[in-house]
Amino acid sequence: MIKKIKASTSEKLIFIFILILGLFTLTSFLLLKNKCLFVKNYDPEKINFKNPANVAILNVGCGNVIIELYPDVSPNGVERFKTLIKSKAYDDVAFHRVIKDKLVQAGDLEFGKKGNIDYGKIGTGESGLGTIKSEVDKEFNYVRGSVGLARSLKYNTEDSQFFIILQDEPLYEGEYTPIGKVIYGIEVLEKIKYLDKSEYVLRPDFINSLRLFN
Amino acid sequence: MKLFKLILLCLFLFSKAHSNTIFELIKIPNLEVYNIKTENNLRYLYAKQPFTIGVNNNINCFNSTKKDLNQKYVIIEKNLNRYSKDFLKKINLRYIVLCEDLSISGIGTAGIPDNIMKTLIVDIKFNEKYFERVLHHEVFHIINDTYKELFNEKVWSSFNPVEFNYAECSTCTKKIGLDTYTKPNGFITEYSRSTASEDMAEVFSHLMYGNLPDEIDPILEQKIEFIKKSILKIDENFIL
Repeated sequence: MIKKIKASTSEKLIFIFILILGLFTLTSFLLLKNKCLFVKNYDPEKINFKNPANVAILNVGCGNVIIELYPDVSPNGVERFKTLIKSKAYDDVAFHRVIKDKLVQAGDLEFGKKGNIDYGKIGTGESGLGTIKSEVDKEFNYVRGSVGLARSLKYNTEDSQFFIILQDEPLYEGEYTPIGKVIYGIEVLEKIKYLDKSEYVLRPDFINSLRLFN
Repeated sequence: MKLFKLILLCLFLFSKAHSNTIFELIKIPNLEVYNIKTENNLRYLYAKQPFTIGVNNNINCFNSTKKDLNQKYVIIEKNLNRYSKDFLKKINLRYIVLCEDLSISGIGTAGIPDNIMKTLIVDIKFNEKYFERVLHHEVFHIINDTYKELFNEKVWSSFNPVEFNYAECSTCTKKIGLDTYTKPNGFITEYSRSTASEDMAEVFSHLMYGNLPDEIDPILEQKIEFIKKSILKIDENFIL
């Protein structure tokens, strides 16, 4: 006959402690794995925009980033951006250059498309529409959330690539063509995948879609 | 040795990728902003630590004390404020890098112009006597590099006596004196005799600094006119 042994109080306490520890570990693992958990996802339909014709919705993994475009500051840059949005060219395009807390860059339509990514050439691709002239003469404060067109070392080489800055960058004024500013959802961009040792991201995050609001 | 390599490897593995906006824009490391809110949009940067750049790392410059920087900045800004925002944009000059003991391949130099990167590196300790004039000399190199077609060296050389030949390069000669000749005889300083572009830069810098010799011979007269006309082709409002 098996004799039942009653657990002592200290044994019960150790058991409860282990149980709580296990639960805590499991919950933490599940919570930490979800990088979007505390990121607010803005619904553009619930926002009243002053100028809805110049609003673009960038949808990425953690939600929507709502961008107001400034055609008065850079008419050609905004026109190019809108043209590419209308043709859905930015869908499934990688955030190939990401610097933590500094900027995210995307828009390489040639070498940055999901399923057809070329790590050797990413960042050098073209849209096929040719380059446009830099529009850097008007005053523009490059503050957190500003959106600009990327270019090569030379002016007048803007095409389809754009960047969004995650911190103020006063030195960018007069250097890069500004096309707009994030008005809602900048925190979504802080969750875009980055690497500690390189600006260029291996297995990057992608744009789900980029659409004009109207 | 193995231990040293291991430590180096660990440092590399555990150090984060550092991205600096200034480096991103002009490809010079270890710089900080000195002043970027200027009338003509020039952005003044200074070396926080020594830096090495160029082909085979042949360009070196060192950081200065805050006191020296503050002293020289006033002089540099006063002189460079003579160039308007529009003119600077046309010639592709936007960043002024302040440092000291600037050298290329071990040879000391007053400045290094780079119109592609829109940058002029200035040695703030270079030749106290001619410091201000030399600033304009270096700006001319930016102008010249941006508008090569306006400053044709063959046309310029044709002003000189037939028997005269410039050196192959500005560092291939011992003619480096910067004293202004009282009797120029076609050349405004000894350094003018080094190369055509240095000759042009010397004429331009004397024009800007306003210390042309009292006696101007016909050759120098032609050279002055050439510089004036060419600069006005770039910006008709430029005041020489």
